[in-house]
Amino acid sequence: MNAFSRGIRNAFRNTIRTVAIVGMLSLSIGLSLSMLLAHQAIGQKITSVQKNIGNTISIAPAGIRGFDGGGTPLTSDAIKKVKSLTHITSIDQSVNDRLGSDTTNIQSSIDAGSFGRRQFRNEGGGGGDVAFGGESRQAPDLTNFTLPIPVTGSTNPLGSVSGSSDSSVTLVSGNVFDGSKDADVALMGKGIADKNSLKTGSTFAAYGTTITVSGIFDGGNTFSNNQIIMPLPTIQRLSSQSNTITSAIVHIDSAVNLGSTTNAIKNALGSTADITNDADTAKATLGSLQNIQNVSLFSLIGAAGTAAVIILLTMVMIVRERRREIGILKAIGASNVRVMLQFTVESITLTVLAAAIGIIIGSLAATPVTKLLANNSTSDTTASQTAPVGERPGPRLMGGGFRTHFNNNGAIRGIKNLRANVDASILGYGFGSAILIAAIGSTAAAGLIAKVRPSEVMRAE
Amino acid sequence: MTVATKGQAMLTVTNLTRSFASGDGLVTALKDVSFEIPEGKFASIVGRSGSGKSTLLSLLGGLDKPTSGNIIVDGKSLAQLRDHALIAYRCSTIGFVFQNYNLIPNLTALENVMLPMEFNGHVPHERAARSKQLLDQVGLDGAKQQRKPGRLSGGEQQRVAIARALANKPKLILADEPTGNLDEQTGKMIFDLLHSLSRSENTTIVAVTHDLSIAGRTDVTFRLSDGQLVTDKSTK
Repeated sequence: MNAFSRGIRNAFRNTIRTVAIVGMLSLSIGLSLSMLLAHQAIGQKITSVQKNIGNTISIAPAGIRGFDGGGTPLTSDAIKKVKSLTHITSIDQSVNDRLGSDTTNIQSSIDAGSFGRRQFRNEGGGGGDVAFGGESRQAPDLTNFTLPIPVTGSTNPLGSVSGSSDSSVTLVSGNVFDGSKDADVALMGKGIADKNSLKTGSTFAAYGTTITVSGIFDGGNTFSNNQIIMPLPTIQRLSSQSNTITSAIVHIDSAVNLGSTTNAIKNALGSTADITNDADTAKATLGSLQNIQNVSLFSLIGAAGTAAVIILLTMVMIVRERRREIGILKAIGASNVRVMLQFTVESITLTVLAAAIGIIIGSLAATPVTKLLANNSTSDTTASQTAPVGERPGPRLMGGGFRTHFNNNGAIRGIKNLRANVDASILGYGFGSAILIAAIGSTAAAGLIAKVRPSEVMRAE
Repeated sequence: MTVATKGQAMLTVTNLTRSFASGDGLVTALKDVSFEIPEGKFASIVGRSGSGKSTLLSLLGGLDKPTSGNIIVDGKSLAQLRDHALIAYRCSTIGFVFQNYNLIPNLTALENVMLPMEFNGHVPHERAARSKQLLDQVGLDGAKQQRKPGRLSGGEQQRVAIARALANKPKLILADEPTGNLDEQTGKMIFDLLHSLSRSENTTIVAVTHDLSIAGRTDVTFRLSDGQLVTDKSTK
C-alpha cells in the first residue's frame, strides 16, 4: 500500500459518489470530444470545399441557355484562348445535341405527357430532330409524340450529366471513356438503357453510325437517366458541329484567384460569352460551414470548461470532506507532497474512468452531433441557394440542356452528410487534456488543504 | 513555574506560551509553561476542559507552533526545525494516540499500522512484518488485523492506534485522552498496555487525561489550570 494504491482505492471508497462523479464527468468529456471531432470534421470539410467550390468558372455562349435563347456557340479556338490564361488547371468542354427518331433507333425513357406536348407545340410543332406521328405541321397529331433524347459530347463524361451533381452520378456498369478522343462509344443513363433494353457492350444506331454502350450510369433522377454522353470530338463530328463548344467549365488553382481569372476570361472572350463563377455559392456554403464550426467550437469550450469545473469542484469537495484525514496523515508523518499525490491519483483514477466512458460516448455521438449541427445550420441556406443557382433538375422539356452553372446542391448535401471520423490522435489529445485538468484541479485543491496545520484541522473537527 | 524531574531529560519545555486570535482579542491557551520529563517515564497531564492540555500536546507533537518559548525533544529544539524537518520529527521521533483513535476508515487495521512506516521509507515487507508483530503485541488477533476500523470495537481501535503510534519505534508517545472514549475496564486495559510498552520499549509517554485515577498511576503528573502549570504530583 502506498500513495498510488491508496489514491486508486479512495476513488472507489463511496460507490454512489464514484458513479455520480464518473457519470457527470464522462458526459462532459463525451460532449467535449464529440464537439472536438465535429470541429475537426467541419474543418476538413471547409478545406475540401475550398478546394472544390469557388474555383470553377462557367462559360456559355452569350444569349444561350440550353436550347433556349439565341446566339452563336463558342469555338474551340475561343477555348484555346482561355486555356492560355494563368491559374487555369483544366477545362471541361461539352457540345449538346438531341436525338430524334430520324437520327436514332432508340426512344426516350421519359413520356412526353401534356407538358411536353404543349412545349413542343409552343416551339412550332417540332423540327427535324423530333418524331411525331402526324405529317401536317399546321395541326400536328401529337398522340404518339416522343421526346428527343439529349446527347452531350464532353471531355468530362460523368461530370457532364445534366441535372445532377458530380457526387450523385454513379457508374452502374461498364467503363468511362476518354472524352477527348474520338470513338463511337457512349455512356447511357439507366432509364434510357432500361427503356431500350441496352446493356454495357450493346449497340444502337445514332447519326447513321453504330454506337457501342461503354457504360451505364445512374444520375439519381429521371431527367439525368434519360441522357447519352459521348466523347466531345465524336459528337462534334457526328452532329456536324465541328469546332463548336456549347459550354465549358474552367477549373482554377485556387478560389483566391477566382475574381481575377473571371475577369481575364471576360477580357479574352469579350461579348461572345456569358461568364459566371460560383463565388456566391462558395461564400454561402463556406458561411454555413463556418457557422457550424463556430457553434462546435463554443460548445467544445463550454463542455470542456464544464468538465474542468466538475473535476475541480469534485476535488475541492472530496478534499474538504477529508480534512480530518489529511490532518491525521500529516500528524503521523505524511508530507504535503505525499498528501497531494494521493489525492491527485484519486482524481486521475476518476478521470481515467470517466474519460474511457466519455471516449465511447464521444465516438458514438460525434457523427449525429455533427449532422445535427449541419442540418440546423444549412436548412436556410439550402432553401435559398438551390433555386436560383445552378441547373434545375427535373423535366427540362425536349431534353438536353447545358451544364452552364456549377450545381451546389451536392455541396449542401455534402455538408448535411458530414461524418466525424474518430481520430486516435484527437482521442489522445482529449484524454490527455482531461488527465491534465484532473491533475491540476486535484493538486490545487489538495495543496490548499495540505498547507493547513494538522492541529487546526483536527481541532475544527 | 518550572517543574524539573530526575534523570536524563527526553522532553524539556521552557516558557511555553500559545495565544490565539479571537473575536474578543487574544486568548492565551498556554502561559509560560516549563517542565522536564526524563527518558522512559510515563507522564500524565491533567486539567479541566479548556485548561490547555490538548494545545500543549499539539505543540509537543509539532502539529502547532508556540507563540513563544521552546520545546526540546531528545536534544532537538522544535523551534529551529523547518517544515520538512518537523514532518521527519513527527514521523520518526514521536507517535500519536488520539482520543477518537483517528484511524483511516477505508484501510484495514494492518494497513493503518503500516502507514507511518511507509512515510518513514520502510520497504513493504518490513512494514507488514512489524505491523503484524505490533498488532499481536497489543492483542489484536489475525482476523481482526484485516478488518477496517468500522468493524472493530472502541478498545480494539485504540489498540490499533497504539500499534500505529509505535510503528516507527518513536522515543516519545503523545496520547490525547487515550481512554476518554472507552469504558472503565477497557480504559484500564489500554492504560496498562501503554504502561507496559513504556517499560519494555523504554519509550517516554505523555498522556493527557481528565481521569485522575489513571493519572495517579503514572510516573509523573502535571496539572494545568487556565493554561498554567500549577503543580506536579512527584516522580516515582
